Amino acid sequence: MTKRPNERTVMVGSLPIQVASAGSGPPLVYLHGAYGYLGWPDFLEGLSGRFTVHAPLHPGFGESGDADDFDDLLDLTLFHLDLLDALGLERPDVVGHFFGAMMAAEVAAIAGNRVNRLVLAAPMGLWLEDHPGVDYFAAAPDKLRSILFADAESDAAKRWLPDPGSDEERHLQRIERTRSLATIAKFMWPIPDKGLKKRLHRISQPTQVIVAEKDQLVAPAYGCAFAERINGSKVEVISGAGHLFQLERPADTRTIVEKFLTA
Amino acid sequence: MKICWFHLMPYRHLPPDFEQKYRSVWVDPPSHLYDAEKAHVLYNEYLDELEHAAAVGFDGICVNEHHNNAYGIMPSPNLMAAALVRRTTDAAIVVMGNSLALYNPPLRVAEEFAMLDVASGGRLVAGFPTGTSMDTNFAYGANPATLRDRYHEAHDLIIRAWTEPDLFAFNGKYTQNRYVNIWPRPLQKPHPPVWVPGSGSVETWEWTSRMNYVYCYLSYSGYKHGTRVMKGFWREMENLGVDDNPFRAGFLQLVAVSETDAKAEEEYAPHIEYFFKKNLHVYPGFTEAPGYRSIKTLKKGVGSNLSRSHSRKRTEMKWKDFVEEGYVIGGSPETVADRMREAVEGLRVGHLMVLLQIGSMPKDLTMKNTALFASEVMPKLRGMWSGYEDHWWPNPISNRAVPDPVAG
Repeated sequence: MTKRPNERTVMVGSLPIQVASAGSGPPLVYLHGAYGYLGWPDFLEGLSGRFTVHAPLHPGFGESGDADDFDDLLDLTLFHLDLLDALGLERPDVVGHFFGAMMAAEVAAIAGNRVNRLVLAAPMGLWLEDHPGVDYFAAAPDKLRSILFADAESDAAKRWLPDPGSDEERHLQRIERTRSLATIAKFMWPIPDKGLKKRLHRISQPTQVIVAEKDQLVAPAYGCAFAERINGSKVEVISGAGHLFQLERPADTRTIVEKFLTA
Repeated sequence: MKICWFHLMPYRHLPPDFEQKYRSVWVDPPSHLYDAEKAHVLYNEYLDELEHAAAVGFDGICVNEHHNNAYGIMPSPNLMAAALVRRTTDAAIVVMGNSLALYNPPLRVAEEFAMLDVASGGRLVAGFPTGTSMDTNFAYGANPATLRDRYHEAHDLIIRAWTEPDLFAFNGKYTQNRYVNIWPRPLQKPHPPVWVPGSGSVETWEWTSRMNYVYCYLSYSGYKHGTRVMKGFWREMENLGVDDNPFRAGFLQLVAVSETDAKAEEEYAPHIEYFFKKNLHVYPGFTEAPGYRSIKTLKKGVGSNLSRSHSRKRTEMKWKDFVEEGYVIGGSPETVADRMREAVEGLRVGHLMVLLQIGSMPKDLTMKNTALFASEVMPKLRGMWSGYEDHWWPNPISNRAVPDPVAG
């Protein structure tokens, strides 16, 4: 796993947040999802050729502090505005995946002046009864690769969700996974429909939605569900890829994102 | 020594291939396996069994709360307790208990427990479980990240609602109420004894001792495993400077008594295997929602009662293994009495809860198990811990009202 570049602790109020940054050009903030957030993926490395990419780790993830002081989604959304302030970013492009996409959409809906263009990849935050998806809060650890990747045996799958090398590593992986999922659960349990559907119409930025054909968490139908609530937004479907399509198909993902952001 | 008869109220008619065909007995067991007419019979049989236990001299009868669960068809133990109040006269009604964080407002628990306490003339034990992750997070949708905080706030509200003499306002994080003023208040003063079921976490031990509550270790792994856990409990009590009165603790044990050891195996083995193979067949993804246990507890390596290695192992075990490893105390009255004394001494528990209806065990066998335990085993345990006072047992009034016969 490639090390995150220029990793440092940024204080957001009293909360330490780990942020990696790379590249040059206009600012782009990447908000990660529930899985595959450690390390520095090729897709971000690629984007850093044209953007200054900032990739924070959410509260409750990795070395970032806990989300104990946030009671609800509004607290968490306002935290993201404080994070932009702490990073000195007035109006960056924001790319989010899954939980990160939901937070990006919340920020854009509530404070549209702080987001330039918006990319929502496999976004969480709506609920379609016909597409509940896999219950990731109850997923067995040994099934994760086959849930998150279209090809569980691919190099990408093994690289980004490695098998633990020892019992101790397994224990540490379990603690990291539990802590991060518990953080998401605090705001999304048991169903992630927490009011975003009433706010999406407020988003007026250019918006690109990306979903993947074989995503078992966010079915492609969510692409349309988001797009039809956000004026002027577009949807791309990546065929043959799973939930972590930015890791499974970095070049395709990067191309879609770059094409949209540089149009 | 106090001995209570505990009922889980399992659905006894799961198909033989249940554990091969379905992933979990809890949370998502398919409803087509449930036959309401059969369950109608079960509820009546199970109440008969509890009433029989009270009649043959058990000190208390216990009911508990589970949701979406084919081994416990008792989502509301308070309903069962209300039925038992009218058909028993002396036994303690041990509701083990209400998962405090699931009631909105939690005053519902304060009210219903008060009703049971008043109606029974002060025979109630109030059980305050957090509730399993299956029950609370998956079946009831409670947020795992806030479950324990919610539990503690609910606890504080209930105790205040029971004990404060006047109406008060409650400004909590999860419950806000301008007029807390329940009718009725409990009969027992200051309130019914509180028992807290737990699964071996140090935080719970510390809290129950500080609150002066009974800590109950309710596992299905039996007294040998339980003794190791309870040794930790008593060590912690010593560290906290709390006395070693055995009545501070409770424990659940599966028991199967027959005329001889061989007959016990013949009669009970299939039902014990049904219990461990089908009733405890829980999908591992449901045993602990992320956040159900604190990261601090996880780091200590405390596992869940239904951890995967446990359940894998249990599916291969036979009667002999269950008895040898103490999951079940089974055999002739002599064998059972000897083992029970050993268990109670090792655990140092004053409140013993026995599970005598296990898995698919039918009513006649349950009645036999109950009667034999009461007549042949109980007398040999009665005198244990007689040097200690039980400060955590109900204190009923002496002139209790009894139901009139129904006039024709």
